[in-house]
Amino acid sequence: MKLINQFTIWYLGISVIVFLIGGILIFYKLESEIDFEQGRELERHLDRYARKMESMDNPSSLSKERLEIKELPSDQALIPFQLGDTLAWHQPLEQVERQVKAGRSYLINGKHYYMSMYDIMVESDDITETVVQTMVAIFLLLLIFIAVTSRLVSKKILQPFHSSLTKIREFTFKENQPLVFEPSRIEEFEKLHEFLNRMSERMLGDYKIVKEFSENLSHEIQTPIAITSGKLELLLNSPITDQQARWIAAAYQSTQKMSKIVNSLATLAKLENQEFEGNQLVDLSGLLKNSIAGYEELVVIKNIALHHHIEPGIKIEMHPHMAEMLIENLLSNAIKHNEKPGYIKIEATPNHLTFRNKGKTPKANVTEYLDRFKKGNPNSESIGLGLSIVQQICRIHGFILDYQFIKEEHRVSIQLQN
Amino acid sequence: MKILLIEDQLELSNNIREFLESEGIVCESCDNCFDAQDRLLVYPYDCIILDIMLPDGNGLDLIDFIKKNQDSSNILIISAKNSLQDKLDGLDLGADDYMTKPFHLAELHARLKVLYRRNQLGGSDKLIFNEIQVNPENLEVTVNQNLLDLTKKEFDLLVFFLTNKNRVLGRQAIVQHLWGDYTDDLANFDFVYQHIKNLRKKICLAGGTDYIETVYGIGYKFNTAKE
Repeated sequence: MKLINQFTIWYLGISVIVFLIGGILIFYKLESEIDFEQGRELERHLDRYARKMESMDNPSSLSKERLEIKELPSDQALIPFQLGDTLAWHQPLEQVERQVKAGRSYLINGKHYYMSMYDIMVESDDITETVVQTMVAIFLLLLIFIAVTSRLVSKKILQPFHSSLTKIREFTFKENQPLVFEPSRIEEFEKLHEFLNRMSERMLGDYKIVKEFSENLSHEIQTPIAITSGKLELLLNSPITDQQARWIAAAYQSTQKMSKIVNSLATLAKLENQEFEGNQLVDLSGLLKNSIAGYEELVVIKNIALHHHIEPGIKIEMHPHMAEMLIENLLSNAIKHNEKPGYIKIEATPNHLTFRNKGKTPKANVTEYLDRFKKGNPNSESIGLGLSIVQQICRIHGFILDYQFIKEEHRVSIQLQN
Repeated sequence: MKILLIEDQLELSNNIREFLESEGIVCESCDNCFDAQDRLLVYPYDCIILDIMLPDGNGLDLIDFIKKNQDSSNILIISAKNSLQDKLDGLDLGADDYMTKPFHLAELHARLKVLYRRNQLGGSDKLIFNEIQVNPENLEVTVNQNLLDLTKKEFDLLVFFLTNKNRVLGRQAIVQHLWGDYTDDLANFDFVYQHIKNLRKKICLAGGTDYIETVYGIGYKFNTAKE
């Protein structure tokens, strides 16, 4: 729901309440005012009749339909003006109606008369109707007015908000520019801008630290590894016993593995930081065929039957180096985790890339292998980062990766186009 | 063969020097750009091993200087950065090869020899050891004048052994030499064993001595002392 609609609904809700209370107030005020004025009018009439009676012999003869004259004992105290209502026959309407009745007593020519008059009352139904009609009319007007103006005004007021949104959406780490917004007169926007600006600066700072860390880690560790493995290589060729040679060889192997882990982690960090830029149309079919050819020897030696069905001319928009990494990782994975009598089936269409290979039943849920350092055999040569790299590459390009184990078969399929 | 090693890590520098000197290569070393320029102005070298990150500058900037003063020498970059861009930059500037740390010393040696043969000797130099003759130019190998029918991998393997005679070559070093970095993970005795078995068989069938011996659990060695 749009903010403006939310505002409008609240505003209208409040208006309904205010209009209700206002309507009730107006109703009572109107009613009392009318009663008061009617009473005043009747009093004036009574005064007039009283004056008229002073010059008459038989004042009672003035009595008529709406005027009642009663003679009271002259020693009784004067009755002040009083207002009441009564039910009386109303001639024009030909029915009994609630009527307003005013009365007071006068001393006229030494005699005490009580005179009362009634008149038709303005009915509360009528007042209610008037009030409700007026209120509804005003409310409708308000509704239309708000509906029209709010849209126009909100566009103007929210314009800086929308331009900020665009800026946030376009924010990337690669440009290394913190978010800067145009100054706004609206305090809330100003606060938001300030906050976002500070946040983006901090994020860029953190990003830089992480990036430098992974870069430094990678090459700072490679040098000592190179020294260690060099020493071990020299040792291996010095006069030593067989036993010592095996110890050295094992240590040597571990240094190689360490270097590989660091390299793969650095690659993953690079992928996560989205440092690979420059997508091109990559010829996936060609790349696949080249890679397969490169591994052919290995496949033959390992006695794996490799079948592939690659549609020619599959072009995909991605970073060429990443495309290469993706395929190399998938292929070497399929070779590595094969089980005799092994096979690999590769299928590629413009929408799908599927690698299937025979393999051991995994001990854990296969999707766990997508996590870092998760591998089926803890003693294997592999370092357990291959599929993480594959997953990361898929994530960056918006490909959907699916990994299943069905009937002794590992099946990694990638949906290339969304 | 005389080389200049420009590397600021003393121990790494020592490793390389020791290894290469034991192979009869004259190896001078320095640990910064300034000293390197000094030497390059005075002495000729066949090959220069260059680290990219040096205390007083970027090794890549030295390439130009080397090209101006030693136009006949080869440049081999060794870098801790496994960066495709650095590699491309280095090769663009005129370096001949690029290796990422850590590397096998045997591999470094093999690549130096390849560069040396290719550029200094015009690739015409034959590798000869006793009855084995290897001609890198046309990839021909003869044993006792009998031409061997070797695959590309077997040929590379033999050259690798001949370059690193009497050294224990770990299976990983062999795998990396033959298949490159990618396949490292797939290191498996099976296929190294296959190739070596075939190579030994072919040499023996041609009447050669079986110089290649297995170093159990580690790798192989081309033993020149074998009769």
